[in-house]
Amino acid sequence: MSVPTRLEVVEKVRKDKKGVAAVFPIHYPRELFRAFGIHPIEVWGPPKVDTSPAMAHLQSYICSVVQSGLSFYLSGALDVADIILVPHCCDSLQGLGSILKGFVKKDRPVFTLYIPRGKRREDIEFLKEELKRLYENIAGFAGFKPTKDDLFDAVIKEEDADKLTLQAYEVHRKFKTSSSEFYRLIRLREYLPLVEFEKLVNEFIQKKYKPSGSVGVVFSGVLPEPMDVFSLVEESGGVVIDDDFASLRRRIYPLGESDDPFERMAQRILNAPPDAMKGSSFKDRENFLLDIVRNSSSKGVVFYNVKFCEPEKFYHPILKDSLKSANIRSIVVEVDINEPLPQQVKTRIRAFIETLKRG
Amino acid sequence: MSVAQSLNYHIKFKLFGSRIVKWQANRAYKNFKEPKNWRSDILASPLKIGVKTKELITKHYLEGRYVNGVKPVAWVTSGAPVEILKALGFYILYPENHAALCGARRATLDISSEAENRGYSVDICSYARTDIGTMLSGKTPVGKLPKPDILLACTNICQTVLFWYRVLAKHYNVPLIVIDTPFLYDNAEPHQVEYVKNQLENSIETAERAAKKSLDFAKLKNVVKLSKEAAALWLEIMERGKNVPAPISVFDQFIHMALVVEKRGDAETVDFYANMLAEIDERIEKGIGAVVNEKKRLLWDNLPIWHKLRFLSEFLAERGVSVVASTYTNAWGELAPMIDVNNPIESLAKTYIHPILNRSAEYKLKVMERMIDEYKLDGAILHSDRSCKPYSMGQVDQRNRLVTQASKPALLLEADHSDPRSYADEQVKNRLNAFLEMLGV
Repeated sequence: MSVPTRLEVVEKVRKDKKGVAAVFPIHYPRELFRAFGIHPIEVWGPPKVDTSPAMAHLQSYICSVVQSGLSFYLSGALDVADIILVPHCCDSLQGLGSILKGFVKKDRPVFTLYIPRGKRREDIEFLKEELKRLYENIAGFAGFKPTKDDLFDAVIKEEDADKLTLQAYEVHRKFKTSSSEFYRLIRLREYLPLVEFEKLVNEFIQKKYKPSGSVGVVFSGVLPEPMDVFSLVEESGGVVIDDDFASLRRRIYPLGESDDPFERMAQRILNAPPDAMKGSSFKDRENFLLDIVRNSSSKGVVFYNVKFCEPEKFYHPILKDSLKSANIRSIVVEVDINEPLPQQVKTRIRAFIETLKRG
Repeated sequence: MSVAQSLNYHIKFKLFGSRIVKWQANRAYKNFKEPKNWRSDILASPLKIGVKTKELITKHYLEGRYVNGVKPVAWVTSGAPVEILKALGFYILYPENHAALCGARRATLDISSEAENRGYSVDICSYARTDIGTMLSGKTPVGKLPKPDILLACTNICQTVLFWYRVLAKHYNVPLIVIDTPFLYDNAEPHQVEYVKNQLENSIETAERAAKKSLDFAKLKNVVKLSKEAAALWLEIMERGKNVPAPISVFDQFIHMALVVEKRGDAETVDFYANMLAEIDERIEKGIGAVVNEKKRLLWDNLPIWHKLRFLSEFLAERGVSVVASTYTNAWGELAPMIDVNNPIESLAKTYIHPILNRSAEYKLKVMERMIDEYKLDGAILHSDRSCKPYSMGQVDQRNRLVTQASKPALLLEADHSDPRSYADEQVKNRLNAFLEMLGV
């Protein structure tokens, strides 16, 4: 699969005289930016960058996603963006937003978006207002306001992409395709224009596959970095058959119901799969995880956790218990997105797959 | 309420327990003596009101032992809008205060290991680990904690409380009220305050169900009034620190703030702080400083290091350094003017969205700069608290700005509010010594 890099995409967007938004994790409506003709590019770390610039601003106990993101910003790599968006999803990303807005200012706006920790009526109402605030902020930059129809159209296109992504997951589950290739494809949504992403996903869906005999395992966590883990699982005779990653599965938003585009965007985010970063209940997370494990006939779950990610860590003991009650094995491993996979983690994952193969 | 529970409560707490504690406190107050090994060569005598602090906190935890079945019980986060629950007659327990108490009594390690053995990572906040440890094992230095009938978590201090309280809610199988307060990068916008107000209004029904009674708005107004009075007095007390020498240090404040956190909304808390203020004014009249030979005055940022309060207080006082103001203790008083007794729900929404912990790092720097100026401070110690990311993130820049823009020496001191494993005596001494040298001490 030959795909453009993030930088190539940015160059192309620039050539087309469109704006670029650099978006930090996790939840936000892509459609809102697209309605303005602004191309959102997500900043998940990135992994393996020199984090020394961030060390001048952050303590060592802050997670590597934030360390990398800030380093990337300070290094000038995000200077290609016209707008920075920092959605609020945890104390560390909250702190990152605060530092970007207060201490390392550059000549481009940093917008924030508070994602409420619930899905009550008042949460949806509030998020709707937050999205309107973001809309006004972007309009201030863009110099125009998309109409309600423009917004609605963008929402529908994004909903179609979500449906298509779910179809790809289905194909992957059915044929146990290569997890390295599958997840590389799905992660392209972090920066590819929608049409290009959908073209590649359609190609994936239409391909003919032979079912593989690999043992299926589900991964849960914030993001699949280092990505080498997929090859490791495959070399051990397994396949990551589905996931509960905040960057992936938890961001396949369901269809909204409202005719109001802001409300519909809010519904989509808050009614999406449960997420630690949205403060979801244990019950919701247990049910979702058990559902994807059962639907994918997986044999086990790997909690692939970024060191110092406190929200995820609170859920592990209880989720592990629920899985155990359902006779599903699980392990928790810890990684730093800037480090290669530690030997100890490799050994544990290999041993875990072996155990699953034996049934 | 069962007859046995009621009898137990009335006999063991009302009739005997609370009276014995009061009698002991009155005797201790009358025959007030400095504690053994008190360093009176470097520190002023402890405030006499401390006897009362101990009495009120002891009585509070003692009541907790017998209160189940007699009053509805709520566990709440420290910055939660507690006034509605107070007006409904709930006995209120603050797990963070309990965890701080465990830290001060050096019980954290033993209790939090119960949570760690159960799979809760050491990277999780040590307050949360301590309380989950108590939940799982029953271990606590206060004898016994009452079981909650309801939980109230407000995100205005951190997101951690949300997960922590979900663990509690699952274990105790009780309703959890979440009051989500959007983080303020800038000034609060109307829709943000409206959101908190809507949640407060909607929480009333759940709270009434757990209390088995309806909310009396006249009572609510009275509780709000008492909260405001206590917070205003607390602010006045802290502002007495502007006096040179400062009559109380932040180490005193860390102890005496327990009531404005744990018992705000009670009439006796207002009386307590009025008496405390009078005692402090008496000190000022007599020219007594908290540190005998006050040479330098500092600001403390972030939570205390509970297990090292005495050590730090003496180490600094020995060198003539008085830590007179703190962004942390200030947070419990600075919002008093926002509370409008005649408009309780809306003003609670406004007040509880504004704590320093729910505001940007840049705003916090402004508060520090203002305090340094108003309290005539020579520098600042910023406790980089491993367990409190929202308070600690931004401190590296805040420290640098204090040094470069305000020309004030500032030290970033890495530790943890209650886990001793993140603290090294020698390293702290070295860092403090180097810092004090810069101050010219």
